[in-house]
Amino acid sequence: MKKRSKLFYVQLFLTLLVCAFLIVPVIQSVTAGVTDNFLAGIRSGFTLRWFVKVWDLYRDTIFRSILIGLACLLVALILGVPAAYSMVKKQNRLTRLFEEFLVIPLAIPGLAIALALLINYGRFTDFRRSWLFILVGHVIFTMPFMVRAVIAVMNSVTLKDFEEGAASLGAGFWHRFFQIVVPNSMPGILAGSLMVFTLSIGEFNLTWMLHTPLTKTLPVGLADSYASMRLEIGSAYTIVFFFMIIPLLMAMQWVARPRKKEFPVETTETPQKEKKDYAMQAHATPPVFQNPQEPRLNVSGTSLKLENCAKTFSDGTQALKPFDLTVDAGETVVILGPSGCGKTTMLRIIAGLESPDEGGKVFFGEEDVTNIPIEKRKVGMVFQSYALFPNMNVAQNIAYGLKVRGTSSANRKKRVNEMLQMMKIADLRNRRIDQLSGGQKQRVALARAIAVRPRVLLMDEPLTALDAKLRDVLRVEIDSLLRSLGITAIYVTHDQGEAMALGDRIVVMDIAKVAQLGSPREIYFEPRSRFVAEFIGTINRLQCHAKDGMLFFPGGSIPLESVPSLGALNNQDLEVFFRPEHATVVESSQGHLRATVVASFFMGDRTRLLVDGSSTEYLTIETEGTRYFKKGQSVDIRIDLTSLLTLNV
Amino acid sequence: MIAPALAVFGAFFLIPMARLAITSASGPTGFKIYLAFLTTPRYFETLVYTIILSISVTVFTLTISAISGVFLTRNDFPGKNILVSMLTFPLAFPGVVVGFMIILLVGRQGLIGEITKSITGEKLVLAYSMTGLFLGYLYFSIPRVITTIMAAAEKIDASLEEAARSLGASPWYVIKDILIPALIPGLISSGAICFATSMGAFGTAFTLATDIDVLPIVIYTEFTLLANIAMAAALSIVLGLITWIALSVARTAAGATIGAAG
Repeated sequence: MKKRSKLFYVQLFLTLLVCAFLIVPVIQSVTAGVTDNFLAGIRSGFTLRWFVKVWDLYRDTIFRSILIGLACLLVALILGVPAAYSMVKKQNRLTRLFEEFLVIPLAIPGLAIALALLINYGRFTDFRRSWLFILVGHVIFTMPFMVRAVIAVMNSVTLKDFEEGAASLGAGFWHRFFQIVVPNSMPGILAGSLMVFTLSIGEFNLTWMLHTPLTKTLPVGLADSYASMRLEIGSAYTIVFFFMIIPLLMAMQWVARPRKKEFPVETTETPQKEKKDYAMQAHATPPVFQNPQEPRLNVSGTSLKLENCAKTFSDGTQALKPFDLTVDAGETVVILGPSGCGKTTMLRIIAGLESPDEGGKVFFGEEDVTNIPIEKRKVGMVFQSYALFPNMNVAQNIAYGLKVRGTSSANRKKRVNEMLQMMKIADLRNRRIDQLSGGQKQRVALARAIAVRPRVLLMDEPLTALDAKLRDVLRVEIDSLLRSLGITAIYVTHDQGEAMALGDRIVVMDIAKVAQLGSPREIYFEPRSRFVAEFIGTINRLQCHAKDGMLFFPGGSIPLESVPSLGALNNQDLEVFFRPEHATVVESSQGHLRATVVASFFMGDRTRLLVDGSSTEYLTIETEGTRYFKKGQSVDIRIDLTSLLTLNV
Repeated sequence: MIAPALAVFGAFFLIPMARLAITSASGPTGFKIYLAFLTTPRYFETLVYTIILSISVTVFTLTISAISGVFLTRNDFPGKNILVSMLTFPLAFPGVVVGFMIILLVGRQGLIGEITKSITGEKLVLAYSMTGLFLGYLYFSIPRVITTIMAAAEKIDASLEEAARSLGASPWYVIKDILIPALIPGLISSGAICFATSMGAFGTAFTLATDIDVLPIVIYTEFTLLANIAMAAALSIVLGLITWIALSVARTAAGATIGAAG
């Protein structure tokens, strides 16, 4: 047992005191309700006759309260859930007006609301006399609690991702609302429902003003019994009330209980026998360049064309300058760029989640899909967050796109099995989404997107959420998948390694514009700007001066004629660039420049050197792994002159 | 999809409320009724009493709930869950039931009366005075505020407290420098709600039928017994404005504290 401080006991005492203050009268009322004579005390004996009295006098109030509570709940659900959804979805004048509505039950005393209702509707006698009049008051008072509870959950469950996921699988608005929005907001709807019902059962302030002798509710009856009946009857009646609210309160606590989070382990990642192959392939990490001419096995995708697509957001920021892009059927195009460059916007325009500015057009094959929403575009999309629906298991997630498109149950089952086999996740079929590891989620997301045989497969940074090793494995897997399916694919990433490995062509993005479009080789060896050169790998820069057939740079010089890319220059300043692997450390007589080692990084198969060549920036040089370098050591460096680049800065 | 909700809200809240405002000026004196409200001692004193009562209830509730709420989130001991359940049980009590609880506790036949009678021979009866009201308001406020404070305390990053302790802070310093600053936004907003609820509470005062009137009781009396509908409407408007302003100020203040802390 831990030793408690004095502070602990002081706080405990105070808390127990508060508890006694709250609970002692409850106990008293419970005793009084079953005691023959409260004044004489328990000695007078126990009895249930007060309950019989309550039943005779007030049972109608009990049923009326339940009726009003249920009706109020029904109205609050029908009106409140859609309202909450609109408020989460979009901000406009209507939703902002409605937001004010949410503070009513706290800000405006029930008495004032009741008075307002009486003054305005009191003259409609039939309405005034019916229980519906009380219902109206209860709805106004309780609906905000429903809306709040639902909004809180909707905001916490990345509803937008789930909805976009469902739309990408072909689900229209009502499908999305009832199959995605409502099930995933369930905790909020449940909490709100219990709240609304409990509040309605116990509401007094409004009800006292709105009731008539024929429409008494339970709390009104209570007030009546306290004022005009024996204390024992009031107590027995109060016990009845306690019995009604205790289950409601327990249900509320149950709904709000903190849920234990399960941490799935990366176990069933890949069946054992394949693991070795992946490990071997994954080991060959440095750019495995695909040959663009390598024939596709079976091209099943459609070609894709974007014309003059630009995107300006409503706040005026231009996310994308106008651009054109053509993607052949079966081709994989990677959109690569730093964060905030507009690459995801580009993908979302292709997907149909954003529409391009006026004048932009998107074609799938010959078909103009610019004005077709995503659910009708027949695309497959893998989201960065995966957007797997938590209210469905793995198999249901994969089947969802087929289901909303009306595929028969037998065909659905067949296709799901195919996908589970293909992604090697057959043993996960019945798992819940929160029981999956990151890598498993990734596979399910891919399977779900591919299951519908999309015309174009769109992937938004699908590997970003995974750790480095898994990323390598899955990259290889995605690559072979794309190649064997022959599907047209657009892949967005900020990782140049992924781009090189997966892309037939790469679109390199600078802020809001396309910096270069080309095959991985072109991008790497013939970057068209310094931005591209620096973004794709490491590149060194030399400040040079050309004079009398020689190119001078800090620490050395070379004859101009040996650099084919430069041509005839004289008396001119210029910058040349080269990649680390295009320079080596050589014997002292054969070098182009001399430099001092600043740092050396042993990387196993090679050693990367950071050297000070007396130019403004340090240079990065790669050399074989077996050699050892000390800091401060002087080295001679030879550059592969055919690989020297000049760039438009 | 918001349209149906908005229609109901308009028909059964906005329009009636507008009508209420118009009604308040429909008496023989027109808008001067608000002046009459300020100059008639009966109304004005009631307003002052109600405000004083609500403020003191708020201060008391916040202090007690903050201590107990933080204590309950920070410590684990046998029976804690039952204690929490008991503290939150009265959440769903209507005002009338709260009033009845106070009568049972400190009323003419109440427990405290019996105890004091057996000790001092004098029966202590508090239920029908300002103290009774105060206890009643405390009774319905504490469960609400404790739950909000427990939720807020739950969210405080435990590593902040650990960091402070690693730097040598004693429990009192941790409370002063870490816990209270982190709880301030929650305290402000739950305090405002507590104040607003107290201002508008009707059932408790109605059951206790005390000799001191609070504003909601006066509104009720004006409307039902005196049929002074204009005054009832005007008082409702004043009451609504006060609570609404209190909540808006709190919202801004709580927001500003979060901003300053972030």
